[in-house]
Amino acid sequence: MEFPLLVRDLRVTGPSGRVLLSVGSLDIPAGSVIGVRGPSGAGKSTLLYALGGLLPATGSVRWGDVELLEMPVAHRTAFRAANIGMIFQDFLLFEELGSAENAGLAAMFAPRQRRAAVREAAADTLHHLGLTPGTRSVASFSGGERQRVGVARALAADAAILLADEPTASLHREAADALIDDLVGMARDKTRTLIAVSHDLHLLDRMDRVLWIEDGILQDSVHDAA
Amino acid sequence: MMLRDFWDGLPVLFQDVIVLAVLLSPLLAVGIFLLRGFAPWPLVRAVIWRFRWANAMFVGLIAISVGMGISLIAQERGLRQGTAAAADKFDLIVSAPGSEMTMMLATVFLQPTDVPLLDGETYAEIAGHENVDFAAPLAFGDSYDGAPVVGTTEDFVRHLSDNRIDGRIWTATFEAVAGAAASVGLGESFTPAHGMGDEADDDAHGSAVYQVVGRLPRTGTPWDRAILVPVEAVWRVHGLADGHAPENAGQIGPPFDPDYFPGTPSVILRSEALWANYALRSEFTRANETMAFFPGTVLANLYRVMGDIRQVMSIMSIVTQILVAASVLLGLFILTRLFRRQVAMLSALGAPARFVLAVVWSYAAGLLVAGTIAGIALGVGATVAISRVVTARTDILVEATLGWSEIHLAAAFLAITSLLSLLPALASLRQPVVEGLRA
Repeated sequence: MEFPLLVRDLRVTGPSGRVLLSVGSLDIPAGSVIGVRGPSGAGKSTLLYALGGLLPATGSVRWGDVELLEMPVAHRTAFRAANIGMIFQDFLLFEELGSAENAGLAAMFAPRQRRAAVREAAADTLHHLGLTPGTRSVASFSGGERQRVGVARALAADAAILLADEPTASLHREAADALIDDLVGMARDKTRTLIAVSHDLHLLDRMDRVLWIEDGILQDSVHDAA
Repeated sequence: MMLRDFWDGLPVLFQDVIVLAVLLSPLLAVGIFLLRGFAPWPLVRAVIWRFRWANAMFVGLIAISVGMGISLIAQERGLRQGTAAAADKFDLIVSAPGSEMTMMLATVFLQPTDVPLLDGETYAEIAGHENVDFAAPLAFGDSYDGAPVVGTTEDFVRHLSDNRIDGRIWTATFEAVAGAAASVGLGESFTPAHGMGDEADDDAHGSAVYQVVGRLPRTGTPWDRAILVPVEAVWRVHGLADGHAPENAGQIGPPFDPDYFPGTPSVILRSEALWANYALRSEFTRANETMAFFPGTVLANLYRVMGDIRQVMSIMSIVTQILVAASVLLGLFILTRLFRRQVAMLSALGAPARFVLAVVWSYAAGLLVAGTIAGIALGVGATVAISRVVTARTDILVEATLGWSEIHLAAAFLAITSLLSLLPALASLRQPVVEGLRA
């Protein structure tokens, strides 16, 4: 399923009323590979979380025919489970579990008939990323390996949308480059929409478009890759 | 009414199992509701392992709390059963008027006390009653190595031991039958001290030497530590008449001659017919002459008083359990904050609220179940240890075992706390996801 993104008048405000994010208009065709950059504290991650329906916001975030902000929380959660894969800067894995269980996390709450498929997809993605699905604790993995497990987790439910928050920030250069190849490659292979917040120019170079955000305002929605 | 009759008609074991099932039903209901269709065990295991030291301390505190509650109830019941069993062989006691409790402690539990004596005429009347199978006089006052030396008759020794004497009963005045826990063995000799404990005079009866010819089986009563001798021997050692006229010198046991009967603090009566015991009690309860009582009744009165205390203790125990439950709740709030990021991550990945709730609740319930099971084991261990100490100190066989009341108490605690643990689980759900991810 394809999900083009249409954002209109999106505003996220903090508890004090300060505007944390303001996006007048943003259109992203399905299958695009998009980077988001800007200074620290500019609202990059906030944008990502708002697009994922994780923050209370006003305006419109429409993925295909789905108006995310109008959905009840439970429906947003279900939409994320089915269509959005999230990748975090510090991986957010369960350190005590192995790569197979971490990557196949979604199987634990997926409908019984889908569990095997989710686990299989997680194992396939791990193989594709050069890892062996196993029970050895991911605590013993390198940063690059852990982030690969994080990517496999995001892709296990066959998500059409990938939201990545600084996916290479915790990795050394070599590992980061390898991950960029894998992440961008896997997004393009299956025409997934990838929106990645990053300062990493190597990653941003590979994007179709790079958005610039400053003081919470998406100032220039079409910004050439640096 | 019909329901009540139906309930009363059920076997006791069945009733206990039903009560247990009812107590645990909230736990099962919540578990089934939350876990239906999910498989969160790897995550629960991971969280438990990640915070294993904090979790272990939490489980330990629950175990101590549950264990103490269980131990108190089991110990109280064990003590009650032990004292009741100790009085089992003492159907009816007749003594001079006074305190029934004092006489029961002196006769059944061998606690030394100064009491007035019954004279020979009275004893003869008691022993000669048509409904009395035997009437055993007792003579206290001596000891050996801390164990009381008690003068009595062969009938009572056979009754006390159910006729299971290792060796034989005495056939001469200075032969003795030792209790199972007495510090003299079969074939050994000893000289009694006059008095008991610190005041015992070892040299007062220097010329008297008893030989142990028999040994009683363990009865689980203070009489296990006693050394039983013919009542005539105690009287003679104290320079008194030995209950028999000079022409019957050397006779052991009844009948006793009232003119040569030095007196006895109490007489243990035995009648095969139950009704006769009540008749005898009535007949020998005479103002200013004799007092007849059932030790079992005295104990029952004591238990009634103890029952009130027990009720107070129960209320205190419930208050303590409530405080513990509150502490458990607070502890769970703190522990669940330790994995706030993981909970937020699950929500971000699209895990349904019920799944997140299931993970947090299963974690809490897992600790509570582990703590309760450990508490039961701890309670049983403490009960066994305390029972041994009480038995060693009092010679009353206290066999405190795990009963249904204790299991019900533990199950009630588990049910209440597992329901309460929904609160921190719900609270963790209410945390903003993004705040959790950034924590």
